[in-house]
Amino acid sequence: MQRADEPTVRVTVVRSGGIAGLRRQWQACPDGEAAAEWSALIDRCPWDAPRSEPSGADRFCWRVSAEAGPVRREAELPDADVRGPWRALIDAVRAWPDVTPGAAGRTAPAS
Amino acid sequence: MTAIVPPYLLARIAETDAPHLARAARAARATLEAGHGYDPDLTRLQLSIDENGALVAGATPSPDRVVSDAQNRETLPGVQVRTETDPPTGDEAADEAFDGLGATFDFFWDAFGRAGIDGAGGTLAATVHYGVDYDNAFWNGERMVFGDGDGEVFTGFTNSLTVIAHELAHGVTEFSGGLVYEGQSGALNESLSDVFGALTEQHSLGQTADEASWLIGAGIFTDAVQGEALRSLAAPGTAYDDDVLGRDPQPGHMRDYVETDEDNGGVHINSGIPNRAFHLTATALGGQAWERAGLIWYRTLTAGTLPTTVDFAGFALATLEAATAEYGEGSEEVDAVRAGWTGVGVMADATSG
Repeated sequence: MQRADEPTVRVTVVRSGGIAGLRRQWQACPDGEAAAEWSALIDRCPWDAPRSEPSGADRFCWRVSAEAGPVRREAELPDADVRGPWRALIDAVRAWPDVTPGAAGRTAPAS
Repeated sequence: MTAIVPPYLLARIAETDAPHLARAARAARATLEAGHGYDPDLTRLQLSIDENGALVAGATPSPDRVVSDAQNRETLPGVQVRTETDPPTGDEAADEAFDGLGATFDFFWDAFGRAGIDGAGGTLAATVHYGVDYDNAFWNGERMVFGDGDGEVFTGFTNSLTVIAHELAHGVTEFSGGLVYEGQSGALNESLSDVFGALTEQHSLGQTADEASWLIGAGIFTDAVQGEALRSLAAPGTAYDDDVLGRDPQPGHMRDYVETDEDNGGVHINSGIPNRAFHLTATALGGQAWERAGLIWYRTLTAGTLPTTVDFAGFALATLEAATAEYGEGSEEVDAVRAGWTGVGVMADATSG
């Protein structure tokens, strides 16, 4: 049972690989009105779609996990699949709490 | 002296009728008459003075570099900004990439007689200024791509010749049959890029194994980071120890092998083990590391017999076979290779057992 002081949405992004092999992790725990916008962002991601075949070397590896209420989803993504709704969700997590998804004028970090 | 001779100078040499420049004139005419296919047609005139004081001209293959600028977008290839016939752009990243590709081409040619990524003088394609604050450099299967770094952790990725050579070497590995980028074969893929990256820098600086830093990516961290490089072949696990980034996680021995699902099974982590095996081999042999240790590793990669999913033990055996084929059984080279792999726990130490 969820406590009132717990966030209703939690999204975690782990990035590994790259030439540096550095592991970076970002997490967003929005609540209140923002949580609904985040839920929509999460729902737009193709969680069950087949992934691209990785190619090349030194590309980033991504793991995205999202908890929205009782629903928990997780996906591992090659760098080539980080576009469209995935890119929007990952950029939002990396920018949180400074930026709310969908807010005008947001500049998405690219790496 | 080896230099890229500009077309106008080639033309003047080709036209001369001075008797002491006859050989140089013939070489220059041959160069000018050649087209742009493979390319030993794309050649450099190599000039030297022999013991009798005569000018001697020879030709060596020239790289065919094409550098593009992504203009901070994530779309490839970007706008072409420099080819072999263009002067420097004035853009630091583009010119560093151009020069770094040239130094790497020279290394592979001088050390192993290999002309570029495909071994046939094909285009070396690179893109700089990829993305915004992009913290990476990568090989996408067709080209080398370099980000500018975020300015907080990383400066630009073209600042390091070892990084440029590392990416080009991924292409060499792919064109040599490839190593699956996962687990131990992926770590070997990474290690080969680190080995050839380090050797390119040593070749460029004329260093011996004892003089070299054996670092990958020295100079790409900002001053705010407590670390000197991304990786150390000499001492895996010691390249950085930073409050934010943590400590370099590379092992240097099989007993410390890291099992992980991330980073394609830790390809950038466990590469420390074969990296150190190479360093042990190279420093045991001494001298310029590309001449013997590097040649053995290169022969191993390009023999055409390496399984794409080879593990550390299989690769170690293959290096022993390559060393035996090149230098003979019982040679100091074979002994050094075996000692390198036993030193990192990939091969059992025959004396311990």
